Amino acid sequence: MSLNLEKFRAEYDRWVGESLPDYLAGKMEHIVKKYPFITPDDIPWTPYIGKPAAQKFGLITSGGLYLKDSQVPFDTSSIHGDTSYRELPKKVRQEDVGIAHKHYDHSLAKQDLNIIYPIQRFVELEEEGIIGRLADVNYSLSYVNDAVTLVEKTVPQLIKGIREQSIDVMFLVPV
Amino acid sequence: MGNAMDRMSLIKPPRALLVKFARGSMFGEPGNVSRQRRIILDALTALKTMTVPGTITELPYRWKRSDPE
Repeated sequence: MSLNLEKFRAEYDRWVGESLPDYLAGKMEHIVKKYPFITPDDIPWTPYIGKPAAQKFGLITSGGLYLKDSQVPFDTSSIHGDTSYRELPKKVRQEDVGIAHKHYDHSLAKQDLNIIYPIQRFVELEEEGIIGRLADVNYSLSYVNDAVTLVEKTVPQLIKGIREQSIDVMFLVPV
Repeated sequence: MGNAMDRMSLIKPPRALLVKFARGSMFGEPGNVSRQRRIILDALTALKTMTVPGTITELPYRWKRSDPE
């Protein structure tokens, strides 16, 4: 997959400069329309081989989830967002999890975390043998605009963790 | 998965399911366990049936409506 990060970086720096007053004023819809999305030249593709019942699955949400007792919440003030991620254990409970993400309504997810991070459903599918295993460590990102740092720093760290866990299939839930 | 075709067409995921739910509730109403399960099973099926890079399939589920049989 080819991404022109230098072209994006220039457009992104200009977007930050132009959008900061609206961002600080909470006018999100206005600045989202002007955001310079990175568009890859081609579509990354790995053919699917095997059977879910024999494979390990992992889960990523961008809902801004963190463990209230042991992890620092995501930065929710910067226009760049927060490019870090949090590792969430397989047996996490709803009451263990906080949400640090200013740009969606949390009220429904606070009733049922599974609508943005369907961890309980994956645990059940593992118990039923429909999937082979659910990873012991799964992941949350939060609100991010700084795609350069995300691509150059965060994604390689995530991929390293995914490979160390020998995960076959990742399920991504954007929020 | 995703809920915004305009953004997905820019980002070009290799394979994706499109849902018609708002940000913050990608699997529909809280507590709809059977729908959450169905969406994941749809994804497992899509692993096998989506053979063309960039395929995006819209799911039939709608907010506070019964799911299709």
